[in-house]
Amino acid sequence: MSAPEGAKTQRLSSKAKSAPPEQILHDLLAESPSILASIVDNLPVALFVKDADHDFRVVLWNKKQEDITTIPREKALGRTDFHMFSQESAQYFRQVDEAVVRRGKLFEIPEEIISTPGGGDIWLKTTKAPVFDTTRNRTFVIGISEDITPQIRVREQLKELNTHLTLANQQLQETQLQLIQAEKMESVGRLAAGVAHEVKNPLALLLMGVEYLASGITENDPNLPEILTEMRDAIARADRIIRGLVDYSSSRQLSLESHELLPLVENALLLTRHEVRKGNINVEVIFEKDLPPVFIDLAKMEQIFVNLIINAVHAMEGRPRPNLEIYAYATRIPEVERDEGARTARHLRSGDEVVIVEIRDNGSGISEENMQKIFDPFFTTKATGVGTGLGLSVVRKIIELHRGRISLRNRVSGGVAVSLTLKVAPTVQDELDKGPFKKKQ
Amino acid sequence: MSKKILIIDDEAGFTKLLRMNLERNGDYEVMIENHSVHALKTAQAFQPDLVLLDLVMPGLDGGDVAALFQADPKLKKVPVIMLTALVAHGETSTGSVAQAAGVTVLPKPVEMATLRSCITDILEKS
Repeated sequence: MSAPEGAKTQRLSSKAKSAPPEQILHDLLAESPSILASIVDNLPVALFVKDADHDFRVVLWNKKQEDITTIPREKALGRTDFHMFSQESAQYFRQVDEAVVRRGKLFEIPEEIISTPGGGDIWLKTTKAPVFDTTRNRTFVIGISEDITPQIRVREQLKELNTHLTLANQQLQETQLQLIQAEKMESVGRLAAGVAHEVKNPLALLLMGVEYLASGITENDPNLPEILTEMRDAIARADRIIRGLVDYSSSRQLSLESHELLPLVENALLLTRHEVRKGNINVEVIFEKDLPPVFIDLAKMEQIFVNLIINAVHAMEGRPRPNLEIYAYATRIPEVERDEGARTARHLRSGDEVVIVEIRDNGSGISEENMQKIFDPFFTTKATGVGTGLGLSVVRKIIELHRGRISLRNRVSGGVAVSLTLKVAPTVQDELDKGPFKKKQ
Repeated sequence: MSKKILIIDDEAGFTKLLRMNLERNGDYEVMIENHSVHALKTAQAFQPDLVLLDLVMPGLDGGDVAALFQADPKLKKVPVIMLTALVAHGETSTGSVAQAAGVTVLPKPVEMATLRSCITDILEKS
């Protein structure tokens, strides 16, 4: 009969003081061979050993391996994987086992899925290694598996959440684009009367020409060349205006491309010509020479300019000598404007090459109180029916989609200056520098 | 003696072709003024029998010009036909004639037949 448990522990610990650790283990195994089975069984990882010389039959199957696979030891020992797992899984295990023996090296399977007889699928991280028993000249494969199903489930959930988030983000962007489109259609309505006026004038001219020609002409009528030139010009003018309106109201997607700003501003002025003329407004367009192209969505940016021009026209109503100035120049974002909180790829960074466009009016200006609310949706100082109040909030949204900036300030001389900062379009050289062929520094 | 018509409209091409049509049969003597700010001076010098006046113009609009004419003793009786491409609520359909505050309004584009009969009617009445 063996000594009581307490006495054994006492004796071991007294030995532990003098003997080296490997001796302690040796003694322990000699005294109680079952302790090894107990250690193996209580490991927090699944452990199994297969006999490579006998069809990879299982010779060891610990408790954790039983838990994970739901296969009890008595049904595993002496059997091959083909008795316990699906044909497909067993085939895969066998291939790995054979490779381990062939190469004589440790083999890691970071993720493998097995279908258990219990019905569930589990994810394992498995390491297999060959063990050579030189005395009996036999080869075994030892495997250690860790159940990583919970981690995989969390990862799958995260992936799913991420998909939902991406989808929600897409929907948000679509809604924003719809809002921008709605605002655009609203301003098309506002522009319609002006555009109709601008088209009716060339039509009136054309009718005059037709009337003249229809009432009979002689071959040498001196007026003929002039009439035909005027008629051709009128057709081109009407076409330009209508095309501008169609371009303006179309395009629901955001498509960023390299564009020159000046033609865009001229087109916006063409669409708002009626309002500008009605308001007796003097317009000055001052663009720096050789202004680089900017990276913009043409239709959306035109929407911004139409919006800002109309705002300026309304602000100058009834003011003496109304003057609208559209001023543009290229610069770099200075170091002082560095915004640490916004240093992501989506924002402008110090040193970025940009074009700054200022739309300056000499109207009534904006009070300090209103300046705080100016970008709020539905905020307006205009009379009911004149504006929906979405204008500037939508303008800002469009600028944000362009990764640009917008700011407003009262001018010292009176009136308001709206400043737009837009990133210069990347040049071919920039693209090459960024690409996979970038030279090592 | 042919009647004198003054056209005040900033659309230079339109006024040129309108004059060609009006002068064609030698019925009218036509003067053009494309800058509304000079309209009063031109009218005072020309002394028209009738004025064709655009409504939307830079500088002074048609209403401002009509008011200046009203204030001028020699011009206040001169009949005015407003020609406008302006689209507004209750716009008259193309070719029809509307009367607003004693001023005849014709929408652009206007057919010559409509314009001629309108001019003839008004000149006969005055």
